[in-house]
Amino acid sequence: MLGKGETPGHQNPPQHKDDDDDDAPHGVVKLISAEGFEFVVDKKAAMVSNTLRNMLTSPGGFSETREGEVRFPEISTPILEKICQYFYWSLHYSSGKETSEFQIEPEITLELMMAANYLDT
Amino acid sequence: MSGGGPPRKRNFKIELFKHRVELDPKYSERTWKVLEHAIHEIYNHNASGLSFEELYRTAYNMVLHKYGEKLYDGLESTMTWRLKELSKSIEAAQGGLFLEELNSKWMDHNKALQMIRDILMYMDRTYVPQSRRIPVHELGLNLWRDHIIHSPMIHSRLLDTLLDLIHRERMGEMINRGLMRSITKMLMDLGATVYQDDFEKPFLEVSASFYSVESQEFIECCDCGNYLKKSERRLNEEMERVSHYLDAGTEAKITSVVEKEMIANHRHRLVHMENSGLVNMLVDDKYDDLARMYNLFRRVSDGLSTIRDVMTSYLRETGKQLVTDPERLKDPVEFVQCLLNEKDKHDKIINVAFGNDKTFQNALNSSFEYFINLNNRSPEFISLYVDDKLRKGLKGATEEDVEVILDKVMMLFRYLQEKDVFEKYYKQHLAKRLLSGKTVSDDAERSMIVKLKTECGYQFTSKLEGMFTDMKTSQDTMLDFYAKKSEELGDGPTLDVHILTTGSWPTQPCPPCNLPTEILTICDKFRSYYLGTHNGRRLTWQTNMGTADIKATFGKGQKHELNVSTYQMCVLMLFNSTDGLTYKDIEQDTAIPASDLRRCLQSLACVKGKNVLRKEPMSKDISEDDTFYFNDKFTSKLVKVKIGTVVAQKESEPEKQETRQRVEEDRKPQIEAAIVRIMKSRRVLDHNSIVAEVTKQLQARFMPNPVVIKKRIESLIEREFLERDKADRKLYRYLA
Repeated sequence: MLGKGETPGHQNPPQHKDDDDDDAPHGVVKLISAEGFEFVVDKKAAMVSNTLRNMLTSPGGFSETREGEVRFPEISTPILEKICQYFYWSLHYSSGKETSEFQIEPEITLELMMAANYLDT
Repeated sequence: MSGGGPPRKRNFKIELFKHRVELDPKYSERTWKVLEHAIHEIYNHNASGLSFEELYRTAYNMVLHKYGEKLYDGLESTMTWRLKELSKSIEAAQGGLFLEELNSKWMDHNKALQMIRDILMYMDRTYVPQSRRIPVHELGLNLWRDHIIHSPMIHSRLLDTLLDLIHRERMGEMINRGLMRSITKMLMDLGATVYQDDFEKPFLEVSASFYSVESQEFIECCDCGNYLKKSERRLNEEMERVSHYLDAGTEAKITSVVEKEMIANHRHRLVHMENSGLVNMLVDDKYDDLARMYNLFRRVSDGLSTIRDVMTSYLRETGKQLVTDPERLKDPVEFVQCLLNEKDKHDKIINVAFGNDKTFQNALNSSFEYFINLNNRSPEFISLYVDDKLRKGLKGATEEDVEVILDKVMMLFRYLQEKDVFEKYYKQHLAKRLLSGKTVSDDAERSMIVKLKTECGYQFTSKLEGMFTDMKTSQDTMLDFYAKKSEELGDGPTLDVHILTTGSWPTQPCPPCNLPTEILTICDKFRSYYLGTHNGRRLTWQTNMGTADIKATFGKGQKHELNVSTYQMCVLMLFNSTDGLTYKDIEQDTAIPASDLRRCLQSLACVKGKNVLRKEPMSKDISEDDTFYFNDKFTSKLVKVKIGTVVAQKESEPEKQETRQRVEEDRKPQIEAAIVRIMKSRRVLDHNSIVAEVTKQLQARFMPNPVVIKKRIESLIEREFLERDKADRKLYRYLA
């Protein structure tokens, strides 16, 4: 697995002001890759993943729900980027609109599938 | 990964993805410790420091590394341990706090369980279905059930507490319904069987004994109305209880317990309760109580039939008393009015209290049918009632009122079995009404005929209609007679003839009496006029049915107009030439039949205030040796004096016998006709079938007596309409 070690979030200033709504399906959530890159996505999109859905809706204040950010120490930046693209593609697709095929480069197929299994997407 | 070199498209094979991380032998132990710690923290309400992602990833990896079983077993034992801890604290809770504690711990457990399930979701998704284990959530509920609810220290205490609270609520205390609701919902969440076995069943048993005792108490000290009120309230309470804090499925069960204990077990006693039971309610028109009884009894099997049976026997009993009470029989109008009132009363009860239940209506109808026919004078009385109404009772009534009354009479008519007897009387009464011109409304008369026609068919009323036609024709004839002959008639008495078609009218051949010469002259003129216009007819005078208006001058020059019957007129005319006559003289001169003459003389000489004749010796009765004188001293305040007019009265005993006999006589041809109709289509039939068929055909009019049917069959055999079968004597054959 890439990036096994816990990357200390090197350039994330905890200066969000998103505390106004942390449990509602609207609002955003920050996804952080193994290398520390941050992707800010709509919660609605993130919830395409069942794992993320549970994470964001589970009762009893886990740190992710409180802080509105999730770290993925085992997912590399390109994969997480692809995943975020997929979230939006999937939202678009399931809304019933005409959607072009989701392109997956062969090189990342395997890793992407592992991540998909992990995220239950 | 790939089998060959360049031709990758062939022999392509995917292997299971192998994790590349070297597993250190203590890996599983170490990772499990992380999760175990997390589970404890969750139960300690300390989850805020935990990272969902990390825990999820840890569990994910454990499952991925084939440690799913360890993870699962670890979870089970950790949770069990936590639950045992919880059960201790619940057990320690004192008295009233017990339920609160149980509920709050249940809330905690539920929340923790959800969190645990979320972080172990990957296991739930992959490992659990593969190895066919119980999903985490269900596992958590099962453990709660086994270690908390079924723990010996909690199990019975929980049940007792719940039942005690419900009992206290039944006794009027306020209890915490919200808490009750949470607890019963918990039992439902643990599975319907837990709710049923651990709560519902004992609850129903306790309720049954509670209501058994309570109903016993109530029934000893309450009257029926109050008892029913209490039962109704209890029933509503139970339903309300279910809606507030029990499972909806319990409603049917608990209501059936209440119904059984409070209603079904006591239904006979309730219905028959002295001074307040069903009969008293009916007598006193207690609509509310009756409606309550109906609605409660409807819930239990046999409930309504219990009410219905008691009502029926009550109706039959009172009806029987009514129709056989000799006091009642004295006044036919009153008698029928009583029946109608009784019917109205119970119609209203059924309408208001019993929701217009068809079965009750039928019971009411059959009861009336039963007792009306107990008295064989009912047909006569009903006809007399109509007679009374059409003579005077309907004066001033609107058309609708008339219709209502006639409809009610028709309803009683429908109950009659001997409709032909009614017809006979109705015809007599109608004839008297028409001939004496006493009918109030022609429309009402016709409306009644139409009703009888729709009820019984054309045949029933054709003669009645004939009577109306005769009246109309007679009127026209008389107008014509006077128009053509007025000059040759001069100043003599005025004649008004009703020409009655023989057969349509209930007349008996009766020898005409000797009319006074003045009358005889004009009668002969009319006869020649009538026979002149209508060839081949015969006219006979029915002097027994006519009336006359005569002017008389008494001693002090007082003039009175006397309204008398034809017979009386004949008698009085004799006194124009003489002052005193013996009975024998009168009989000889007038040739009035003896019985009619007696009545006629009695009404002229023995009725106070109307005694235009004086009798010697004075007595109440007429004897053959009496002598009659013109009563000079007669006075009256009225100018018009009505003397012994022909009013329809209840028949005397011999008359009744006579009518009866005529009815029987009339039935014979009808029975014969029915037999012939049946045999004509069936050709061969045995005796019993004929009797059954004839009864069926004729019961709309009357109930034929089997003995009479047998006699008619014999008569038909004599007249060679039928013959007995030669082989089988029970069979009859139709001879064409």
